[in-house]
Amino acid sequence: MPGYRFHNQVETYGAGVNIRIRGANSIRSNNNPLFVVDGVPLSGESTTPSGGDIVNGGNATKNPLSFINPSDIESISILKDASATAIYGSRGANGVVIVTTKSGKAGAGGNWEFNSTFSVSSPADEYDLFDGPEFISRSASLRSQEIADGLDFGQNTDWQDYITRNTASQNQNLAYSNNYGSGNVRATFSYGKQFGVIQKSSQERITGRVNIAQRFLDDKLRINFQSTLSRVNDEAPPISGASGSSGNLIGAAYAANPTWPSSSTFSIDGNLVNPANYLANWQSETHTDRFLTNLSAEYDLTEELTAKISVGYDRSDAQAITVISPGVRNFDRVVDNGQAAFNTLEATSKLLEATLNYKKEFTNSSIDAIVGFTFQDFQRQGINSQGWGTSLNNLDRIGQELKQSIYDLRYSINTPYQQFGYDADDSFVNSLNPFNDAGTLGTKSNSFRSAWGDAFDNTDELQSFFGRINYSLNSKYLFTVTLRADGSSRFGTNNKYGYFPSGAFAWQLGDEDFIGDAFSTLKLRVSAGSTGNQEGLGYANYLKRVRYSKPTIDNDGSINRPGTETVAVQNSDLKWESTTDYNLGIDFGFADDRFNGSIDLYRRETKDLLFRQPAAAPAFDPFKFTNLEDGTLINQGVELGLNYDFIQSDDVTFSTSFNIAYNDNTVEGLKGATADFGVLNGPGLTGAFAQRLGEGRSLFSYYMATYSEDADGNPNFNADDKDFVDEDAVPDITTGLALNLTVKNWDVSAFFTGQFGFSVYNNTANAFLNAAAFQTSRNVTPEALELQSSEVSTLYLEKGDFVRMQNASIGYNVPLSGKGALNSLRLSLTGQNLFLITDYSGLDPEVSSSTSSDGDFTGGIPSQGIDYTSFPRPRTFTLGINARF
Amino acid sequence: MIKYIKNTSKILILPAIGLSVLFSCSDLEVEETDSLLVANFEGIETAEEAASSVTAMYNQINGYIGNQADLFALSEVTTDELLVPTRGSDWGDNGIWRQLHQHTWTPDHSYITNVWNQWNELQLTASEVLDSRSASSEASRADAAFLRALGMYVILDNYGQVPYRDTTADPLDDPAVLTGNEAVDFIVADLETAISTLPATTPDGETVMASKSAARYLLAKVMLNKHIFNGSGTADAADMNRVVSLVDEINGDGFGLVAGYFDIFKADTDQETIFWVKTSVGNRIWNGLHYNLTTPDQAGGWNGFSTLAEFYDIFEGDANSNVEGGDQEERRGYVPSAGKPAGIDGTTDKDADGLADGSNIGFGFLIGQQFAPNGDELTDRGTSPLNFTRDFTNATNGEKSLVENSEVTGIRVIKYHPQYGEFAEHEIFFRYSDAHLMKAEAIMRSGGDPTTLVNELRVLRGAEPLATVTEQDLLDERGRELYAEFWRRNDMIRFGQYTKDWEFKDPSAIGDTNKQLFPIPATQIILNPNLVQNPGY
Repeated sequence: MPGYRFHNQVETYGAGVNIRIRGANSIRSNNNPLFVVDGVPLSGESTTPSGGDIVNGGNATKNPLSFINPSDIESISILKDASATAIYGSRGANGVVIVTTKSGKAGAGGNWEFNSTFSVSSPADEYDLFDGPEFISRSASLRSQEIADGLDFGQNTDWQDYITRNTASQNQNLAYSNNYGSGNVRATFSYGKQFGVIQKSSQERITGRVNIAQRFLDDKLRINFQSTLSRVNDEAPPISGASGSSGNLIGAAYAANPTWPSSSTFSIDGNLVNPANYLANWQSETHTDRFLTNLSAEYDLTEELTAKISVGYDRSDAQAITVISPGVRNFDRVVDNGQAAFNTLEATSKLLEATLNYKKEFTNSSIDAIVGFTFQDFQRQGINSQGWGTSLNNLDRIGQELKQSIYDLRYSINTPYQQFGYDADDSFVNSLNPFNDAGTLGTKSNSFRSAWGDAFDNTDELQSFFGRINYSLNSKYLFTVTLRADGSSRFGTNNKYGYFPSGAFAWQLGDEDFIGDAFSTLKLRVSAGSTGNQEGLGYANYLKRVRYSKPTIDNDGSINRPGTETVAVQNSDLKWESTTDYNLGIDFGFADDRFNGSIDLYRRETKDLLFRQPAAAPAFDPFKFTNLEDGTLINQGVELGLNYDFIQSDDVTFSTSFNIAYNDNTVEGLKGATADFGVLNGPGLTGAFAQRLGEGRSLFSYYMATYSEDADGNPNFNADDKDFVDEDAVPDITTGLALNLTVKNWDVSAFFTGQFGFSVYNNTANAFLNAAAFQTSRNVTPEALELQSSEVSTLYLEKGDFVRMQNASIGYNVPLSGKGALNSLRLSLTGQNLFLITDYSGLDPEVSSSTSSDGDFTGGIPSQGIDYTSFPRPRTFTLGINARF
Repeated sequence: MIKYIKNTSKILILPAIGLSVLFSCSDLEVEETDSLLVANFEGIETAEEAASSVTAMYNQINGYIGNQADLFALSEVTTDELLVPTRGSDWGDNGIWRQLHQHTWTPDHSYITNVWNQWNELQLTASEVLDSRSASSEASRADAAFLRALGMYVILDNYGQVPYRDTTADPLDDPAVLTGNEAVDFIVADLETAISTLPATTPDGETVMASKSAARYLLAKVMLNKHIFNGSGTADAADMNRVVSLVDEINGDGFGLVAGYFDIFKADTDQETIFWVKTSVGNRIWNGLHYNLTTPDQAGGWNGFSTLAEFYDIFEGDANSNVEGGDQEERRGYVPSAGKPAGIDGTTDKDADGLADGSNIGFGFLIGQQFAPNGDELTDRGTSPLNFTRDFTNATNGEKSLVENSEVTGIRVIKYHPQYGEFAEHEIFFRYSDAHLMKAEAIMRSGGDPTTLVNELRVLRGAEPLATVTEQDLLDERGRELYAEFWRRNDMIRFGQYTKDWEFKDPSAIGDTNKQLFPIPATQIILNPNLVQNPGY
């Protein structure tokens, strides 16, 4: 499918999905499309709490789709233009990904299916760092013998190797399906455990799923029921992209002196972290239970009129425990004290959708009209908590003690509260409603010298009324008109509702006499429409809200009783961001569609951009939410998709599909509004950034000094002389090529992807792999010694163009007599990320890590194109077996 | 049966849809589950909530003062007193430290933006407490009046213009902008309120909260700087008299000079401390210490901040060393040649080596060879001696430079001492010796002779008395007494020396009086049309 980019990190360790359909349409929102699983739109926000930020940045939240077993997915389809997404309303502004799970339709008479995969992964690439002897000899020659002597601890440790591993993962899936005429059923159970190629990263998933479809009353009443129950256990290493000057585990492994012993008790004073010590004293685990169910009833009132009502319920219950034990070194107050964070998140979403559908066939035309109502709410509640100062050393034990302590403390409070805490001297309980900031705790935990908990409970609501008419004339001319009124609780009284019309026209040109028989398909599509967006805005930011500020544990372990602060300010004018989309497309096919394809031209204009703009001082928060009045974000481009079946014979088939998309992204009408983002992290990069919002430029445009050298090869530029450098992080061209060959029982397929016309900022090199870093006794690569400047500049800005062999697989369908128990048996071998062609000097230009964090100066603009100690993308080989019986 | 269902279902499903739509139809309003909702601010509703806002303000100041960036950086790193050379890649931080010392900052400098946002926010929170419609207690109002004055003072001092948001006006209105005498009068009015309503705390009382003395001190600061703030350039005699009487009133509440310079910075009360902030003194300690000057809790150092040799040279004593028992005055401190026996008041001996933890680390100014607790000469992270140098040089070519320094360049400054607790939460903001020198200066500026007052302090600090005191002497005395206590920029401006040349200052900035005010953050000019960018930016 052309025009979208799908960064799925499931292959790494189950974190983060990053999908862009036709570029980024919004400054603030994460620009991810809406995921709809069997008709239930998922919340755009994560269902797992972030790991607590103890030291060095919190850990990212996890992939929202991870609760689905990939074997249960029947199809994934993507809706792009406004008319197509209109029925999903406001939340479809960035496109819609429709995930349909397998039903029991194909299981006539009842059959079983067993799937099993076994895979091995290893890091696809690594840096060529100096080994121990080389590090010492370079230190002697480039610095001094004295320095080299001081640095030599006599060992030879490969720290990259120490923190990475080759892993074996597995996934087992058993399904039963039965189609018994008046209905069908499918039930699955699966278990999988994947290990990441970095130590202490894994994901375990247990899911059960049932799909039931039943027809009653001469098929006039149709009931569908889908339900998933899942348990996902994630384990994450300390690799926050927001980690500061000490770096995260990956940064520490690049920088660590290779002559250090690989002992978890070894440390030296200062800010150089021993990765073995960090890894041994760290643990972050998240457990998420999720229940997603959907029940719909559809009834034919008359031949023409059908009513449908569906209810959905999505509940997830997650707990994240992050622990640093007292044995850790080089992390300020945690040394010899130990600290843990326990965060919970209960996310509940309820959906009600009711529609009336009228269908009528006339002699030369048909009409299909629908009116409907949907309501969905999203409640998020839970508690963030931390405990400091424990003498326990067992990581599991510290986590469990904190969890128990927080439960005990909560239980001991018999009034409503927002937060509580204690330190060596005092304790506090702060309540909002009724207001009381004088409460105290009756008890303290013996396990932690100080601890606090801070609760949250907020609910967003969405409500829509919509109507759509499809009219088809002579089966050649198809008209669609949609009108929706979308309401959101994120806006003030005057602007809760946005009204979003769209229309489309399609013409089956191929059926016209004047076209002739050259085309087997020729269809012209034109559409225009608008959709609203309220993602990225967050809970109730249109009115003044007051709550107690988050408690913090000071370096001496004390906690000051927090006072109240204004967390959101009045802005009754806040309204929907809207994207207007124009699309012109042609579908064509020749020779019975043996050769077919489509071409699309589009332009999307997003207006009233929701923006967290600096607020005029004095203000409670340096930023406030506004709509950028004249701001417009324009994405325009062209997409081409081609499919050709080269060979279609009984024994051999060979087909290819190719897609390519060009997208241009521009921001206009800023009227001086500006923002710095593209946060850079690492030693010597505190407060540094690489991107700025610029009039007439792409959203993620780089802004920095231009590097140059004098005749001797020494840096010769003013690092403070910053400007736009005419490069951005959004690919101009994305492309994919799929090849499929079958020969009798064998099948072979390969898929290549490529992205072109974008730049990546190599924050990893800027922070760790340069000559100046070597001067601070950090290990580097031979190439890094050539990088003579550690200033933020174009020296570290590189073209990211790449082609990747995303996967290749070979399969064999074992011939069966058909008389035994087995109906079919298939074996397959798949390789993922087999090779990468790029000039980028880092490990991988397809960056999916995020370097920005809550409360930094960016005002919440996500990061893109900043490569900071990215999780090494693995190369994975998977052996699969699929049996039906 | 089936027929019955068939008929009734048709009858039921439509109303069922209708009813479900009706019942689930939401007004899309949020409820008070997570936060208190204030549709239109009409004053804080209860005294408790107002008191909680006051608590929040004190908590906020903790962060503003404890940080080594933001106000501390603008007040100290922009002067001859502190600089942060880039060592390897450490402390490069995209040039933010160098720009401050070189006077090449621009309106998008993040610390300039942060200080603007932070101290203005303090004003707004205080204004809500002070709003006549608020149910704030008298005590909360007194604190808020002091805190608003403090917030507005910092903004006026650094930016020359103070945006003021009236809490009774529409929150979308552009804040008015106060400058010069108008701004001074506003701050003075708040301080007069504070002086009359705050408690008369004595030195052994709760000096972590505002008191009459704290308000008097701040008012004295405002009066002393008034001729800078209003641009008149000449101190008004009445204002100077007020400074003198305010300082005398502070003295009357029991505050005064105490001997034992470095003991003042221990985490306990003393007569010098008028107002302190409950924030960790760790940043003041770790910023300059080398990695191998191991602190008792092993939390630092960060090997960054240093001072210029030309500042170090204003002290009496050997220019190239600062050894214990040398000829330097007390305030320059000393570098011990080994750790001290355990048992010093307030210290620990965790490793039971008989030596007080961290007692091998010097006081004041660290120059030359540094020593381990057992008296061994410390080395840097190589095997070179840990020998702090007067000069800042490029490690490769030996030329004087602010970048590519080695680990050992620069004299380090340390006033709060790790042996008394590097996590101690006790940073002094207002100190009596400052008030004492303000009084001396006020006397000088109104034509009197400050020599007696200056020498009173000098003798107490073990320095030679001066025969006469010139303006330069008084500025130097303030530097010697108050280094790294947030006042150097303010002092240098008042004595006309902020624009002078010092090592590594950009030549274009020398003599540029526009640098005496920081630029208004670029976005603020667009957001509030009442603001006018300061000249030169």
